[in-house]
Amino acid sequence: MRRALAWILSGMLVLPLVLLVLLSLARHWTWPALLPADLQLRQWRDLFADANGLGTVVLRSLGMGIGVAVAATALGFASSRSLARHARQGRLLALLHLPFAVSPVVLGVSLLYAFLRLHLAGHLLGVMLAQLVFAYAYAVILLSGFWNPRARSLEELASSLGAGRRQVWLHVLMPLARPLLGVCLFQTFLISWFDYALVLLIGSGQVATLTITLYQYFSSGDIRLAATCALLLLAPPLLALGLNQQLLSATIVTHLEAHDDD
Amino acid sequence: MSRSRRPDPWIILLATMSAGPVLAGLVFMLLYSTGQIGLLAHGFTLHYWRVVLDDRQTWITLAYSLAMGLASLGASLLLALALQAALGARLRRGALRGLLFVPLAVPPLVAALLSVEVLGNAGLLARLAHALGWIDQPGDFPSLLFTPSGVGIVLAHMTLVTPFLLLLLDRLGRNARVADLMQVARTLGASRWQAWRQVCLPVLMRAGMPVLSVYFIALMGAFEVPLLVGAQYPAMVSVLIQRRFSQFDISTRPEAYVLASLYACLAMGLLLALFAWRGRREAGERAA
Repeated sequence: MRRALAWILSGMLVLPLVLLVLLSLARHWTWPALLPADLQLRQWRDLFADANGLGTVVLRSLGMGIGVAVAATALGFASSRSLARHARQGRLLALLHLPFAVSPVVLGVSLLYAFLRLHLAGHLLGVMLAQLVFAYAYAVILLSGFWNPRARSLEELASSLGAGRRQVWLHVLMPLARPLLGVCLFQTFLISWFDYALVLLIGSGQVATLTITLYQYFSSGDIRLAATCALLLLAPPLLALGLNQQLLSATIVTHLEAHDDD
Repeated sequence: MSRSRRPDPWIILLATMSAGPVLAGLVFMLLYSTGQIGLLAHGFTLHYWRVVLDDRQTWITLAYSLAMGLASLGASLLLALALQAALGARLRRGALRGLLFVPLAVPPLVAALLSVEVLGNAGLLARLAHALGWIDQPGDFPSLLFTPSGVGIVLAHMTLVTPFLLLLLDRLGRNARVADLMQVARTLGASRWQAWRQVCLPVLMRAGMPVLSVYFIALMGAFEVPLLVGAQYPAMVSVLIQRRFSQFDISTRPEAYVLASLYACLAMGLLLALFAWRGRREAGERAA
């Protein structure tokens, strides 16, 4: 019974991916056929030939994601150290959750006017700055878990042995935190990579990313290209899942550490 | 503990980057919606606030968002608890162990697209129903998407949230050594159901409540899923704000800001109440 349930659940978890692959390859898939009558590679050929500008969109989304991830992780690592040592850690954690509570749409509409005045609306940099608000908060929460007694004692030991502040960061803390920094880079990359609301509002139709393109194909009824975009969106996290499960399981750990009562 | 009296620049950055945009945005929305700045500024007015507060749709939208958040989280939690009780340690074995992480790699936009392709009137389920001879045409399949009941929104959210909760409950259970506690209860004569209901469930709920509360707030403000599979009316709050904000007629913009301000206050109030409750609980536990 348990085994059968596990198999059914596994099937349900794989089914959406299979469906997306079939949709991205389908030439004709009319009602009531359970499977497409004919398959083609046109969508994927168009993608690699950049016929619809999709290749450019993918590169732009990748660049934005990498930029946001590097900035959020670098700033978040330094901030998380101060957070972990602060007497009012609980209150600061509440502040870090504020952007997530008000939602990207509310933050997007409320910041658009300021971004327009600063000539940041409709620009890549403006969208990345808005995404950084969320990515930075996430990075601080995730990386605050690093500053355990062991990290602190190693930091103090290096300092007492004569290492300068820069040396402590470069040769002690960063190597020690490398696995978690990798997870943080990846998770904050996904915040930008998956974002739709902020690109829509702050980008004001001028910044085309993969999520915006997916929505455009979907609303224009071109499900096959929408499915192709969806598979591209899923590619980095699924690749990461194949390589290192920890890159995705960090989501669970972050939630637990941010709300750890111990 | 802070060691120096000089303000820590990283803490200033933290407060500026997290609360700064939210508070600046809130102040801007209040000023714009009271006619003090922006394209429609003609001096202080509460006209837009009166219009939005008198509009039934405002309260319906806020209540609908609350209901959708609760229903999505409640249904996902029930399913996750049932699966955890049924599968137990099997969740950590074989292919299922890795596959449970797959939904964490799916953004809400893709989940919504998949919901249309699976749950829609010409979707995969409808095609299966036709193959089994249950329906003749797409119109015979029950409407699950774009309905005011929000079934589509809840189902799409369930596909995203349930695996996350399942992994979370499994982790919480291991942290709290729930299996050992249940074994003790069984040894003392409790049935399997009693041990689960009176030992496992309270432990998991107590440990998971802070995470679940934050998740509920996030689901209340969901955007992509209700945008793609939700009804035109009633709309969830993020969708209605975006719709009013993006209309060609800019006279609806102050109303969008009023609605956004109301929602921001509600969400922040809930979040701060949650953290205050947590603080009191921790203080109580320390005192005990």
